[in-house]
Formats: sequence, structure tokens, C-alpha cells
Amino acid sequence: MKFLRNTLDKIKPNFEKDGKLHFLHSTFDALETFMFVPNHTTKGGAHIRDGIDLKRTMFTVIIALVPALLFGMWNVGELHFTAQNIDSFIIDNLIYGAMKVVPIIVVSYLVGLGIEFAFCQVNGHPVNEGFLVSGMLIPLIVPADIPLWMVAVATAFAVIIGKEVFGGTGMNILNPALTARVFLYIAYPVEMAGDIWVSGIKDGLVDASSGATYLGDLGVGKAVTVDTYNAFMGFMPGSIGETSTLMCLIGAAILIVSGIGSWRIMLATVIGALGMGLILNAIGGNPYYDLPAYQHLIIGGFAFGAVFMATDPVSAAHTQRGKWIYGILIGVLTVLIRVFNPAYPEGIMFAILFMNVMAPLVDNYVVKANIKRRLNRVKA
Amino acid sequence: MGIVENYLNIGIKSIFVDNMIFAYFLGMCSYLAVSKKIGTAVGLGMAVTFVLLITVPLNWLAYNFIIKEGALSWLNTLGVSTNFADFSGVNLEVLKFIIFIAVVAAFVQLTEMVVEKLSPALYNALGIFLPLIAVNCSILGAALFLPGKEFAFGESVVYGLGSGIGWFLAVVALAAIREKLSYSNVPKGLRGLGITFITVGLMAFAFLSFIGFKLPFGE
Repeated sequence: MKFLRNTLDKIKPNFEKDGKLHFLHSTFDALETFMFVPNHTTKGGAHIRDGIDLKRTMFTVIIALVPALLFGMWNVGELHFTAQNIDSFIIDNLIYGAMKVVPIIVVSYLVGLGIEFAFCQVNGHPVNEGFLVSGMLIPLIVPADIPLWMVAVATAFAVIIGKEVFGGTGMNILNPALTARVFLYIAYPVEMAGDIWVSGIKDGLVDASSGATYLGDLGVGKAVTVDTYNAFMGFMPGSIGETSTLMCLIGAAILIVSGIGSWRIMLATVIGALGMGLILNAIGGNPYYDLPAYQHLIIGGFAFGAVFMATDPVSAAHTQRGKWIYGILIGVLTVLIRVFNPAYPEGIMFAILFMNVMAPLVDNYVVKANIKRRLNRVKA
Repeated sequence: MGIVENYLNIGIKSIFVDNMIFAYFLGMCSYLAVSKKIGTAVGLGMAVTFVLLITVPLNWLAYNFIIKEGALSWLNTLGVSTNFADFSGVNLEVLKFIIFIAVVAAFVQLTEMVVEKLSPALYNALGIFLPLIAVNCSILGAALFLPGKEFAFGESVVYGLGSGIGWFLAVVALAAIREKLSYSNVPKGLRGLGITFITVGLMAFAFLSFIGFKLPFGE
């Protein structure tokens, strides 16, 4: 530690004003604050003082993602070996999963952070930590067998077009991780849809039929009995991190207790999906209508989206009442897209993106309503 | 399929799936120009919705009773002798554009006068764009889609209303985003229209969710 500090102190003058490496100062700042708590203090004026900063916020989210990540790695291995009728232990599964997942994470971080640093360098901004979470989310919402160059292309698209052109972290209108995923989904549908969810299918090691998901079957009108326990625990094919509702709940608990994720949005999303599911149950008629409402919550990526994607503080609604509206509509839309749109078996991704687009409008009207209410109070 | 389901299907399709902005890129000029403030965007959105709601059925009438091949044969049934003129063979498709534009322009002129009288504030806010609705591509576009869609009259009303609501939603959502964007530090070269185009592209992603939407009620 001391050695690091000394080295940093020694090279620091080079990056300060008039130093010969001044043009790289934002990169240096990023590294320094990454390794040590910054010693800047607030100057002038009254400010709210709190230990939490962007870096700590982002890291809390990453910690909340770890259960889903570890389970995802295990599940990739488990599905792969089970499909081939090979007995495997936890360690085998984890090792196989890690071999698939870690490269994706590395690529996503390298590309994303590289672009982010480059932009900050050119603009002379301090580098901030906005990409840390997106870089972890992207690997968790793609299938395990995705080619790495696709991850790179999608990440680059999400960071440049989805975020940096709007002015960087905190300014994007769409969730960057979802932008990356929808980009992949539209640009490379073969790699992102169909029965591709068990690792090894592409190499012919595993029979394709083992990769069918509940949503995929329901989408083509098959009657499906969802095994509630397995679906809740996550023992089913899917994107790397999305399968386990239990792990998402653990993540949700961490986010809610630390006050970082909005419980309003999570709860509202669940209410919206349950409500819409119940309405469809009441209408009844085909297998998808009759799917018990609560099972919408545990199949596919619903839990993952509701906990980690919908609550993105930048692209979600900002007002309290806006959050309820935003969340409920996400839930309703998710079920609607799942049931009524055979083109897309999964709805949560598009539902969140759609509400990301509508969130500023929702906020605007909530604020206006508040102003009106208070004006009336003043007048009365 | 019942009549309500049919109308609902056409309505949802025209609002979300065949959205004038995100699926056809029609009416972009006023869409980009009048989406800086939510207030004016709402005004223009309502004007477009209103004009679409009226002109699409009007154009439907014009198409089915004047333009289409044999559409004029009602003149014969009214008493014009077929020896004098056989209208069942008349095909005025070549005049489609002119007639549609004439209908739209006349109606917009009327709307303009009404708005000026009833809401001078809105009239001033909309400025040049109210007369420009006459040449708003989405309105002529909706009329030109009619022949291909073979709607009944009622369906064309729903279609016009739906297309208008879709345009309204798009313009208001964009205005809200642009009001928010005015606080962002957008790279210099992209400020203004550049970033707006990118925003619209990203919004189109979100609207993709409805492509392929089907409403098989009570199947």
C-alpha cells in the first residue's frame, strides 16, 4: 500500500498543471481515486455531507450483482454438463462457467472503459465510474456462447451512442446495458434468440432441444408447466445472470437496505406484472393467458430486469410518484409484450426501454401536478 | 374477430407498430422543429391528431367515391344514363395526390382559422407550423396508405385517430427528453439537431417492442 502511495505521489507532479503529462491527468485521477480515498474536501458554501459517492454507489450495485453472477457461472456449467449426461460437481460447473463468462466480462470492461477513458481524455473531464455497473450488467444479460466480438461491438455502441454523445454518465436517456442488448437482439438475431441458451449447442456438443426456455415454448403456443421451484431457484436455461429469481432477490435486498435501488420501482414493477397477469388469467383461453400470474415473475429475465435494470437511477423516473407509474407500466408492458407479441418471447427488455423513453414525460407531468396542487393550497 | 377487437387491433397497430415517426419517418420536419418545449409539442401534437382524425376519413370518402376505379359508378345509379357516360370504367388514380392534398389543405386552412379564433396563444406558439401541417408528410402519408389497407369507413376513422395519437406520443416524449437534454453536456458538434436525431433513433429502439403485436382476444 505504502509503496503504491509513494509511487503515485512521485509521478503525480507530471500530471498536474504545467506538468509534461498534463493531458493525461484525467486518467491519472481515475487511477488514483480508484486506489485511494480522495482527499478533496468541499470548498465554500453549505453542502450535504455524506460518505457516499458515485464510486461507492456503483460498487454496492456490483456487490449486489455478485450472487447472480456466481450462480450464473455455476448454471452455465451445470446446464452444459447435464445436457450431455455428464456428472459434474460444483467446482466443475464453476470452472466451465468461468471459462465462458470471464472472457465476456473482460471484453465488456476493456472496451467500455477504454472508450470512456478516451472520451474523458479528449474532453478533459475527470473519468467517473459510470461504466462499472453497465460493464457487469452486459455480460449477465447475454447467452453464454455469444461471440466475444459481438460483446465488443454492442458495448461500444452502447457507450458511444447510448451514453457519451449525451454527455457521459448521468445524462443518458436509455439504460446503457439494455441498449447493448437490444442492439445485439436486432443486429444479430440468430445469436440472441431461439434455442441457444445452453452452452455447447453451437459446437454441436449439446442437442438444441435442451436449450428451449419456458418463454420460447410459450411464444410458439405450446402449453407449458412451469416448475415453480426450479424457475425460482434458477435451474433453467437463459441468459447468464437472469435465471435465478432467488439471487436477484438477494441483490434486491442489498440494494434496498443500502438505499441505492428504489424499492418503489421494484415493487411497482411486480404489482404491474401481477395485475396484468391476473387480468389475463381471468380472460383465459390459450396457454399463455392461463399461465399463473405469479409465474410471470419467475420465468425469463423479469426479476433481473426489475431489480437491476428498471432501477437505474439515471434513466428511470426521478419523482416518487413518477417511479410508481414508471414501474407499474413496466410490469404491465412486460406481460403484454410476452403474451401478445410472438415476435419477442421476452418483454422486460423492451418494456424498460420504452419506459426509459417515457420517463421524462412522466416526471414532467408529476412535477406539474405537484406545482398545481401547492398553488391551490397557497390560494386556499 | 369481433368488431371491437378489430378496432382495438387497428388502433394499437397505428399508434405503436406503424408509428408515423418511428416506423415510417413521416412528418419529421415539424417533429424535429417543434419538439423543444413540451407545451408547444402538445399543441402541435393535438393539431396533427385532430387533422388526421378528420382528413383520413375524408380522404377515405374521396378515394372510395371518386378516385378508385369504378368508384364514380354511383353517378349512374343516381340517374346519369350509361348511354351518356359509363362511370364504372373511370379510374382517377392519377389524381390521387392532388385530391388528397386539396382535401388536407382545405381542412387545415379551416382548422387554422378556428384555432386563431379560439386560442390565439396556441396560434402564436405554433406559428408557421400550423399552416405547415397542410404539408406534414404524416398526414398525406396516412391518406396514401389508405388504398393499400382496404379499410372500411369506421376502420379508417380509427386508423386516423391512432396515427395521430402515435405522432402525438412521439413528439411529446421527444420534447420531454429534449427539455432534459438541455442540461446535458453534449459534444459541441452534436448540439441541436445532431443529438436530436440520435435520440430519435434510440427512441425507435423502444418502439420496436410493438412490432408483431397481435391481439387474439378470446381465441
